[in-house]
Order: sequence, then structure tokens, then C-alpha cells
Amino acid sequence: MSEWLESAISRGHQIDDWLAPKRTQAIDLLSTTSWPTRKTEAWRYTSLRAVQNSKAHEIETKTNLLPEHITNLSAIELVFVNGKLDKEQLPDVLPKGLSICLGSDLNKEQQLQALDNFSEIKPKRHLFGLVNDALAQDVVMVSVEDGVNIAEPLRISSLLSLGSESHTRVYVTLGEGSQLAVIEDVQAEGDSLNTAFVEYNVSAKAHLEHYRFALQTGSNVSVGGCHFNLLDHSTMHSTIVAFGSDLSRLDTDIIHSGQFVDAKLNAIYLLDGNELFDLHATVEHAVPNGTTEENVRCIVAGRAKAVFNGRIHIHRDAQKTLAELNNRNLLMSKTAEINTKPELEIYADDVRCAHGATSAQVDDKALYYLQTRGIDRAKANVMLNFGFINELIDLMPNAVLSEWIRPIIRQRFSEMEVRV
Amino acid sequence: MSNTKSLLTIKDLYAGIEEKQIIKGFNLDIKPGEVHAIMGPNGAGKSTMGYVLSGRDGYEVESGSVTFNGQNLLEMEIEERANAGLFLAFQYPVEIPGVSNLEFLKASVDAVRAANGEEAISSSELLKQAKAACKQVDLPLAFLKRGVNEGFSGGEKKRNELMQMLLLKPKLCILDETDSGLDIDALQLVAKGVNSQRSEDRSFIIVTHYQRLLDYIKPDFVHVLADGKIVKSGDASLALELESQGYSWLESADVENNAETKVEG
Repeated sequence: MSEWLESAISRGHQIDDWLAPKRTQAIDLLSTTSWPTRKTEAWRYTSLRAVQNSKAHEIETKTNLLPEHITNLSAIELVFVNGKLDKEQLPDVLPKGLSICLGSDLNKEQQLQALDNFSEIKPKRHLFGLVNDALAQDVVMVSVEDGVNIAEPLRISSLLSLGSESHTRVYVTLGEGSQLAVIEDVQAEGDSLNTAFVEYNVSAKAHLEHYRFALQTGSNVSVGGCHFNLLDHSTMHSTIVAFGSDLSRLDTDIIHSGQFVDAKLNAIYLLDGNELFDLHATVEHAVPNGTTEENVRCIVAGRAKAVFNGRIHIHRDAQKTLAELNNRNLLMSKTAEINTKPELEIYADDVRCAHGATSAQVDDKALYYLQTRGIDRAKANVMLNFGFINELIDLMPNAVLSEWIRPIIRQRFSEMEVRV
Repeated sequence: MSNTKSLLTIKDLYAGIEEKQIIKGFNLDIKPGEVHAIMGPNGAGKSTMGYVLSGRDGYEVESGSVTFNGQNLLEMEIEERANAGLFLAFQYPVEIPGVSNLEFLKASVDAVRAANGEEAISSSELLKQAKAACKQVDLPLAFLKRGVNEGFSGGEKKRNELMQMLLLKPKLCILDETDSGLDIDALQLVAKGVNSQRSEDRSFIIVTHYQRLLDYIKPDFVHVLADGKIVKSGDASLALELESQGYSWLESADVENNAETKVEG
């Protein structure tokens, strides 16, 4: 076991609050888990050295950081500063049908109820998910009442100051037939370490629109997860946009618990320099008639490293499942690296399931077409490569967000280090 | 007109793809302002001509020469040909999701302008011109924001090609079966667009299988292409003749006699 994990466990032991039963559970599991090495499948391509060497520690100080300004976005702001909820930044009045509260502010009875659900969606296999169970600072519970459509998106921003260690945790419940959009984003200063896990319980006929912007770069270490439990006839549309840092890892779990669920996940990553981003996306089709569509596209330049593991597990009873996984990658330099692994496990016989992973080349016909319109080859290549990413930006349901992120991505793309 | 300098001169051209010879001794001379129709059965090499002239990768020229506006066309890059004023309207325009039509148009118009020593067009001016062009070809303005040809119907793609032509103002437009898959209304619209662009310094090659487009765009010359070369040339009345006779007569032996019939502009 590593020193870092030992320290995490001992700190977890010292916390005595309403979550204690769950913390103990997590610590028990952690105590019997060995620290991942390169032989550990889930961490095969991503070294945890940055965690082991991290000097980050929990700090109380306030930060000067502010959530990134998103032009024209009007959102309900939920701000975490170094893992602690900043209550002052919460709006005084929330829209009707939406509640946001700290787990520690609930009454005894509510806490017992919350304990029943807490950490039940996030699978136990995520090492840092267990660390987060043990060390989560403020646990924020968000809930939307049945049938309520929250017009403004809820934005969960994590602000991480220099050298800080933090463990952010949110639990979101969408009532039956309700609708909510959630934006998760991070602003990180150097040498910070953060685990951030969000669980989503999406009731029948509810619709969740979800974004996770992991745009932190540099010497930040982030390990997190988004875990979705989807009940009958619910729908979700998730977009992940990531740059890389010393270590940036995200685990998503899309769990079809109810029938006729429609889930979409689009992920874009653009990595440069020595950055790393690792996405492990798991889809569980436990019941029949579910639909999943996953599109993952990355552009990797410099000496950066991209990791994608896309697992689709279709259980024996999950007949009539439609699942599609498409992963396309563009290597911009010889020294960049992409490790991609689609994993389909299909135990039902009446399903349609397709996957593809390619290290994409620019489409010759498209290149020719642009050239016949006078655009030179180099420029046409750039347009097509950017188009490859832009296609998924176009699919973002919230136009304010796509208009905000597009130039940011374009800028990053134009600065990428190409080494042929 | 016979003293006017030629815009395009193709001499004894042999070309093909992957060792397969498709163009076999092709000759054509086009002067500014002329409209030439090239007709012929499937497999005659009609589309290949467009690809060879535009410089598509994989299309190899074995022998012969092509002079465009005084320059050796065959030595130019694809984009140089475009910037010199050659425009190919595709039979099957490619869809490019993620690249917006407007972004594409701007890059394209700017490239042509740069080649002519002009400054890049301002976004607002381009938008103005693009809107006007959309209106002219009856393409909804929303299409400017969509990916290039993405999800466009066959007819919409053809109109998008035409819209580009209106913005780029080429010297020579090759329309490769632009009429295929169009209903009569769309056909008339395309013809109207083309006719509006006819001028003394702009020429057209209209490649088509059927005569009907030529009801609306009156060609100055009609050529029959068979097995990689022009086997018969004439004026607009030749198209009507073909319409009534079909192409089966091409198989008869006397075609050879007509092979050298060259129309002097």
C-alpha cells in the first residue's frame, strides 16, 4: 500500500459525521485493496505517481479564484472552494421544485434516508471513489421534485487553490418526469489534487442534460467520476470536454436500471505537451430495451497521452438493447500516444451492438473537395481535423455552452504542437 | 470569335485511374463565354474528365496537354487550379460534418481572393453575399450554419454547389451531371442560376446524360463523348438528335468517321 493511501485511510478514520457508516465501509474496502500498478487493468496506461508524489493538503483559506465566466450563461451556481460548499454563492431563492442542501444540515431521519442511497450508484470498484467516500468534505444533495422542469442549468464549479487537496461530492436526484441540466466544471491552480464524484439518480421519464468540462491543465491532479442510474423511460445526454493535466482521470458509469432508457455520451479531448487524460466509460444494460450511443473523439499532440476504455456490458436479460460505441482518434505528432480499448460483453442474443475504434485519417474525399474550392492542403487538413471535434460540439444541446466552448477549443487546437 | 484566345485547350489527352485508361485521345477547345455540353452514355468518361481537370489524386495523365488561361493546368495543385478560376460542381458533393458551410465558404472565398492579391473578405460582407446567393438558389439561410452538405437532400447539395459558384465567380465551371436527381422545379432553378452567371468572360462545360437540362441552358456546342473521346460535335440541335436516338448508334462502326469532326468556334 502506498503512503498516500495510508494517510487517506487514517484521515478518514478521524472523521466522525453522519456519513460514518459509509466512510467505514469504504475504508474497510480500501484497506484490502492493493495500490494500482501498471499490471492493474484499470490503471494500466495511467501512472499514479503524480498522486503518490503530491504534496497537496487540505487547506482552509479562501481563494481568489472565480468560476470561469461563460458569456450569456445564466445558471444556478453551486460553488465548491477546495471541496467545501461556498454557501454565500448559492442563490437566495431557488426555482420552485429544486432543493440544494448539505447532507450535514439534514435532520436525523433525512440523513438516514440519504445514507441508504449515498454511494449506491457509484460502483465500489473505483479506488478513488472509495477515497472520496472516506474523505468527502461537504456532501451536497440536489433534488428536483417530480414533474418539475428546471429551466436554468445547475452549475457545479470546483475551485481548487494552489497546493490544495480536496474531495468534492454531490448527489443529484431527478424526480419522475423532471428535467434538469447540470454543468460540472473545474478551475484549478497548480499542484492541487482533487477527487470529485457526482452520482445521478434519474427517475422514470426524467431527462438529464449533463456536461463535464475538465479543462484544468498543468500540475493539477484530478480523479473523478460521474455515475448515472437511469430508470424507466428516462433519458440522458452527456457531453464531456477535457484537456489534460499531470493526471486527469474520469470514470463514468451509465446504468440502465429501467427499460426504454435512452442514453447519449459524447466526449471530446484535446491533449498537448505532456498532458494525460484517461476516460473509463462503462455502460451497464441490465434490463431490456435500452439504447446507448457513445461518441468519443480525441486529438493528441506533443507528447501527450490519451486513454480511453469503453466497456459496454449487456446482461443476459437485456434483450433488444441498441448500443453503439464509436471512438475516433487523431494523432498530431509522432510522440503522442493513444491507448484505446473498446470492450463489449454481450450475454443477450437479441441485441444490436456496434463498436469501432480508429486512429482517424482525414477523409480524402473531403480533403479533395475543399481543395477544389481553392483551400490549400494544409489549411484544409486543419479545417477537417477541427471539424472532427466540432461535430460533437454541434451536438451539445445548450447553444450557449457550445458557443462558449467552441472558440476555446479552436484556440487550443491552433496552438497544438505538431511533430510529424 | 475565332481570334479570341482560348480559355481551355485540351489536346490529345490520355488519362485514367489505376492503370485503367478511361480518357483516350480527348480534344476540346473552349473560348471565354462559351457553353459546351458534353453528353454521353454511362461509362464514357464524363465524370473522369472533371476529376482529371480538377487534379484529383489517383487520376493519372499519360499524355496530352491541358492549357487553362495560358497556364499548364496539369502542373498545378488542385487548389491552384481552383484559384486560377476552375470550378467543378460535383455530381455527389461530399458531406463534411463539423465544418460549417459559412466557415467553408469564407476559407474558399479568401483563398481565391488571396490568389488574386486581394484582402480577405470581412465576415459581414461574406455573410451578405452568401445570403444573397442562398436566396438566388432558394437555399434556406439556416443551411449556412450547418455542416457542409450535412444532411442536405440531393437537390440541396446541388444548389449548395451552385451557391459556391456564385460566390467564387470562376472563369470556367464544369457542372458534372448537376441535373441528375433533380425534379423539374429544381432543374429550372439550377438552370436559372447558371444562366445568370453566363457572361463574356465565363465559360461552362455542362456534363449531362440527358438532354432536358439543355432545354433551359442553351449550349453553344454539344459534344458526344464515348469511350473516352469526343465522337461527334455539333450545335444545340445535336442534343435533340441524341434525345430521340439515344446512344445506341454509338456502337455502330461509322462513329469513327465523325471522330475528327471538330467545331471551330
